[in-house]
Amino acid sequence: MAIYELPQWAALGPALLLAATALMLFLFDSISPRSTNRSLLAGTAAAGSLASLAVAVWFTAAGVGTPTAEGGRGVIDPTHGFVVDQLALYFMIVVAIVTALIVVASYDYLVDHAYQAEYYSLVILAATGMSLMAAADSLVTIFIALELASLPSYALVAILKDNRGSVEAGLKYFLIGALSSAIFVYGISLVYGATGHLELSAIAEVITDGEADPYGGLLGLGLLMLIGGVAFKTASVPFHFWAPEAYEGAPAPISAFLSSASKAAGFVIAFRIFTEAFPLGEIGAVIGFDWTVAFIVLAIVTMTLGNFAAATQDNVKRMLAYSSIGHAGYALIGLAGLTVDGGELVMGAAMMHLLVYGFMNTGAFLFVALAEHWGVGRTFEDYNGLSAQAPVACAAMAVFLFSLAGIPPFGGFFSKYFLFVGAIEAAAANMAMLVVAAALVVNSALSLYYYSRLVKALWIEEPPATRDRLAQPTGIYAAIVVAAVMTIVILPGFGPVVDAAIGAAEAVVG
Amino acid sequence: MIGVEYYVLLSMAVFSIGLVGVLTRRNALTFLMSVELMLNAANINLIAFAFYHGNLTGQVFALFTMALAAAEVAVGLGIILVLYRNFRDIDVTVPTTMRW
Repeated sequence: MAIYELPQWAALGPALLLAATALMLFLFDSISPRSTNRSLLAGTAAAGSLASLAVAVWFTAAGVGTPTAEGGRGVIDPTHGFVVDQLALYFMIVVAIVTALIVVASYDYLVDHAYQAEYYSLVILAATGMSLMAAADSLVTIFIALELASLPSYALVAILKDNRGSVEAGLKYFLIGALSSAIFVYGISLVYGATGHLELSAIAEVITDGEADPYGGLLGLGLLMLIGGVAFKTASVPFHFWAPEAYEGAPAPISAFLSSASKAAGFVIAFRIFTEAFPLGEIGAVIGFDWTVAFIVLAIVTMTLGNFAAATQDNVKRMLAYSSIGHAGYALIGLAGLTVDGGELVMGAAMMHLLVYGFMNTGAFLFVALAEHWGVGRTFEDYNGLSAQAPVACAAMAVFLFSLAGIPPFGGFFSKYFLFVGAIEAAAANMAMLVVAAALVVNSALSLYYYSRLVKALWIEEPPATRDRLAQPTGIYAAIVVAAVMTIVILPGFGPVVDAAIGAAEAVVG
Repeated sequence: MIGVEYYVLLSMAVFSIGLVGVLTRRNALTFLMSVELMLNAANINLIAFAFYHGNLTGQVFALFTMALAAAEVAVGLGIILVLYRNFRDIDVTVPTTMRW
């Protein structure tokens, strides 16, 4: 028994710190409107996200949210709509890491931008929403946190309001986002109709007791609509088509933010909703099919579509956008591979992949931000021979790309390896998982083609004769180097990551 | 007393009208209105089911949904405004600077 115990609500600390930071940024903006004091604004945002990261790591190390002797698995009473277990803390860490990297890189990216305070407060508000999504344990809180993450993101994509690409990207992101959230909330209403509850554990209880049996149709339709909402947030089929446009048109740090943090937050609600509220086996008896079937199909289609489309792109940012769809397909294996009596290995592998992806994909998009900062152009040819002028950044980019492709010494290899092993293990119960494992291997091999094409452009092709001297913006460089170092050192540190991810997966599956 | 199934039929009709509007209309404002129809279809469901199950959870959630719908429209109108400034049109099929 500790001498002083933190109150229960303090378990949401990582998210609350982000919320407080956003309010502080609003305060700066109201005291000095249109301030362009970049150091103060970016510094506050970075300090807030690092504080959130530190608290989340501290809570994980202190064992907050590990199952207690009384059988509870979180420190917050589940009837309050939030639960802080290992899964929540793990994803709060991912969100905080990506936010910190983005904010540091934005310091240079926004040099001549007029709306600095708005930009940073919107980023931090969206991060608050994502952090809350990690802990939300009722369909109400999940939906509200989801909207808190989405609404600032729409505005952020369109924040370059005199840039046609940015506005078009914001429009498309908003239109599809509004449609998918309407579908999501309709799905929630159907699930509520069939079960009479909105808390995930209460829904599971009703389904297990067989009280929802007469409403199998309503429940099944609601479930499919929930999958639609999740697919939008994670940029997977069938709601993926906003992603290439939004990522290409948005400011590059925002593309990094959406494709890493927002995707991870989408996956955490998917993990939580489907494993907790709709227990496998019982749900199959009520609605006639297990939701793993849907995720097997979605995983295969998503990874194949993303990788094949990425292979045909000429624009680097667009290639990364499609590759991000492909990686959503890999992470979906974590849901597809669950079985009645387990699957924490495959789900843990998907969570590892999302953490590694948070570093390597953010880094890759930040390199694009650097290229936009230099003004070298957007296509593969425009990137030719950049290594002669910026060897450090190009070396880091090579690390990101090889890691995204899953080449051995980097973090991306290990998460994909665990996904593969997990998929093979799940194949014992469900033969279709063999197809998923095969699709993973084939797609990884294909992805090597277009990733190495970019490495070749950077390192082997001759630079054009006329190119101005390239600047060395400190913030973007720092963020890229940190992301690259983490992509590599996560390898010796992979033991604890594996334990943390599998422990977090056991918290919901086991 | 009207059975709960009629409310579900009504909400499904409203939802479908909204969905057809989203898929066929090209005006961004009409698109927003169609999405509002879909959200309100969910609200009809939530309130009817709250009455049917005899708990208030659904009604309270319907209030949250309305507030969020309002916030969503606020952001959406802002984006439509900058869309008009850049493209001189609010037809959602006009902006095609990016194509695959």
